[in-house]
Amino acid sequence: MKGVFCETLGTPDDLVVREIEDPGRPGEGEVAVDLEVRGISYTDLLMVAGRYQVKPDLPFVVGGQAAGRIAEVGPGVGDFERGDPVLAGGGCVERTVTRADRVTRLPEGVDLAEAASFGANYATALYALQRGRLLVGETLLVHGAAGGVGLAAVDVGKLMGARVIATASTAEKLAVVGQMGADHLIDYTDGFREQVKALTDDRGADVIYDPVGGDVFDESMRCIAPFGRILIVGFTGGRPALAKTNHLLIKDAEAIGFTIGALERHDPEWAERNRRTILDWLASGRIHPYISHRVPLSRTADALKLIAERKVIGKVVVVND
Amino acid sequence: MKGVFCEKLGTPDDLVVREVDDPAPPGEGEVTVALEARGLGFADLLVIAGGYQVQRPLPFAVGAEAAGRITEVGPGVTGFEAGDPVWTDGGCVERIVTRVERLTLLPAGVDLVAAAAFRGNYSTALYALQRGRLRAGETLLVHGAAGGVGLAAVDVGKLMGARVIATAGTDEKLEVVGAMGADHLVNYTDGFRERVKALTDGRGADVIYDPVGGDVFDESMRCIAPFGRLLIIGFTSGRPALAKTNHLLIKDAEAIGLRIDHMLVHEPAWARRNDRALLGWLASGRIRPHVSHRLPLSKTPEALRLIAGRKVIGKVVVVND
Repeated sequence: MKGVFCETLGTPDDLVVREIEDPGRPGEGEVAVDLEVRGISYTDLLMVAGRYQVKPDLPFVVGGQAAGRIAEVGPGVGDFERGDPVLAGGGCVERTVTRADRVTRLPEGVDLAEAASFGANYATALYALQRGRLLVGETLLVHGAAGGVGLAAVDVGKLMGARVIATASTAEKLAVVGQMGADHLIDYTDGFREQVKALTDDRGADVIYDPVGGDVFDESMRCIAPFGRILIVGFTGGRPALAKTNHLLIKDAEAIGFTIGALERHDPEWAERNRRTILDWLASGRIHPYISHRVPLSRTADALKLIAERKVIGKVVVVND
Repeated sequence: MKGVFCEKLGTPDDLVVREVDDPAPPGEGEVTVALEARGLGFADLLVIAGGYQVQRPLPFAVGAEAAGRITEVGPGVTGFEAGDPVWTDGGCVERIVTRVERLTLLPAGVDLVAAAAFRGNYSTALYALQRGRLRAGETLLVHGAAGGVGLAAVDVGKLMGARVIATAGTDEKLEVVGAMGADHLVNYTDGFRERVKALTDGRGADVIYDPVGGDVFDESMRCIAPFGRLLIIGFTSGRPALAKTNHLLIKDAEAIGLRIDHMLVHEPAWARRNDRALLGWLASGRIRPHVSHRLPLSKTPEALRLIAGRKVIGKVVVVND
């Protein structure tokens, strides 16, 4: 079968597409899954460059979350049968064998591309807004709103009853963010503070969702409401900001850091509850994952380049050749 | 009557003790209060130096929180009568005339010295631990635990059911902190991180109450538990720290700024509820404000020098000459 590997740390051009042996038959408690669609994200770009917090051993398969159908069920597995649609890890390969308890069944009728693309982004957005204690009627400011985790936060924020102000860097991106339901759109090429203040009667935003960091974090601290919460989602700007503790004090504000990985480790029940909630929302059409590009498996490097060049809106997925 | 005034910004030596006219009889909606005890804290030292967040126009009477008895009631006042013990904010003078909305009736039998000494510190401690969402059974690390706001946090933290680790700079101070009920005492002359880690099986503290800032904040970030909350109370070290947002992210931690004066303005109902809780606890002996020094009104500069020299444990109270 075909697989996409990172054999030396570097750029998307350094990735290798090659034929490898099939993973074999599932053992006790395992299932084989034929993957059909894989989500690719900014995190994968960082991992390929060796700049992510988690550094897997070389060589590794690019990508993580994927959707497909059960191909074969190993001994002792009662919950699945051949043909079931599932979410699994595995990344950019055609077939994976994995423990059955690491596979999530998808509701019938769910689009596999949407399912593959939404998991990590929506899990991050929902968990972040829970950590930020977002209340109905509050104002949520979402930065990098056309990115995967940003667009998910717009979608989940609206579902939770917030008024959403979204920032992005081009009119084309903002058009998609607007379709997702954001109440106010800001092109932040020339900053965003004054517009956020104007939209909130000078109070500022109650919750700020910041996957960008750096200057965006610093400017956010100047338009946060009293008792506001700024969520440290990541640093796509490349520079983690320094939060001035005297500014936090003066503004009664909170800077909240989190990683979705730690939720899995420390509170797996919470993580599982959120996964089920998100799947229900997806099945009932209450959330709308957005996919701007579909790329075949052997062109996975192109998918990563689209991310590096900031061409992706929402999500890019990798489908079979 | 006698009063202690700040006529130019500076040190305790610049304060002036002098006779001033008695205030005029109370007008509509006002009462006269004969003050008996006034609590002084680190903030009062900052105010006379011009280094506090809130600047007061010169000249002004030193101090703020005080307790006394009503001596005269103006027209239209209901709910108060002469002889009632009250909380007010008149500072270092013998008598004040004030609007009734600025008074809180004290339970009969409450010691006025204890009442005067505890309001600011205990309101701050209770509000901070609420903002930090401290739960029974969690570990609370209190820095500057022999200071006014620190000692109050030890007392309230124990009442809320937390395990309390307290730090202070001398063994003499730690003795008082231990008498207040702290479970573990750490002399932080040689740092505290290793001790806190050892006392928490390597996890760190769930909630950290930091009135010190600077290096203490930085070291605190290295012994905070996953999902921990670091409360930014003030900067007695003189240096507000910079919180590294990537450290907050990796540790799933929150840096929470808070200001009690801000809360009084934005959340008056919450403030009144907290006042009632604290007064109830004081009347029933569930909290025990510590007063290390009592000085007469004309020695107010000496009281502030004790604070500047870090000689005060808990609180210094100024009584009448």
